[in-house]
Amino acid sequence: MPDDLLVDPEALRSQVRDKYREVAVDPHAAFHFHTGRALAARLGYEGTAVDALPERAVESFAGVGNPFSLRRLTPGERVVDVGSGAGFDSFIAAGQVGAGGQVVGVDMTPEMLAKSRDTAKALGLGQLEFREGLAEQMPVEDGWADVVISNGVINLCADKRAVFTEIRRVLRPGGRVQFADIANGRPVPPEALRDIDLWTG
Amino acid sequence: MLEDSGYTGVVIGEAVDTFGGAKGEDKARAFEVYGYAFMASRAP
Repeated sequence: MPDDLLVDPEALRSQVRDKYREVAVDPHAAFHFHTGRALAARLGYEGTAVDALPERAVESFAGVGNPFSLRRLTPGERVVDVGSGAGFDSFIAAGQVGAGGQVVGVDMTPEMLAKSRDTAKALGLGQLEFREGLAEQMPVEDGWADVVISNGVINLCADKRAVFTEIRRVLRPGGRVQFADIANGRPVPPEALRDIDLWTG
Repeated sequence: MLEDSGYTGVVIGEAVDTFGGAKGEDKARAFEVYGYAFMASRAP
């Protein structure tokens, strides 16, 4: 593990997979965070867009903010969703870019990928696909994306600089990153920052 | 970190009470944890 990282990246990924596997298969369990339609309303998503989605597209949503709140996507744009989970933000993005755009969701949790792919197939969204991969090593070619979105994922990555570097790689020059994530106003004690259990709990 | 990683024009949205009413609310309050939207452009 590099000296400048607080926790081991692979150990953290393992814990994140375990947590979000549970969110995929048992979305109505009691988590320390909100999920589903109530969360989407709390975070200010457009009600009409959320209401149009089937329950399985929304129930495992566990974002922390709204990556579309500062700017709505433009029809025809090419979008990458980093840590796409069960696909909620990718489905919203697919609706905003329309049939002329393209959305690629990238996630590392098999149960989330299976759920998002099944939902996309049921919705018949040809402009949307989901690929298995890590935020630090995305299966997307250099400069492909007009926009990269993400929601509550980067805080769960041990090497945030590596994630931002990877996002920059897949963006075209002048392309935008629009993400939502958490930030703390009071400092977290150093010993807590090195406690991997606290990262996902 | 965004600017150091090759992005410009960083915009940060209003804080959102992401954890209010959830099981994790107490911990979030202790460290003033909120959700934010961020936007930035890849520098040419």
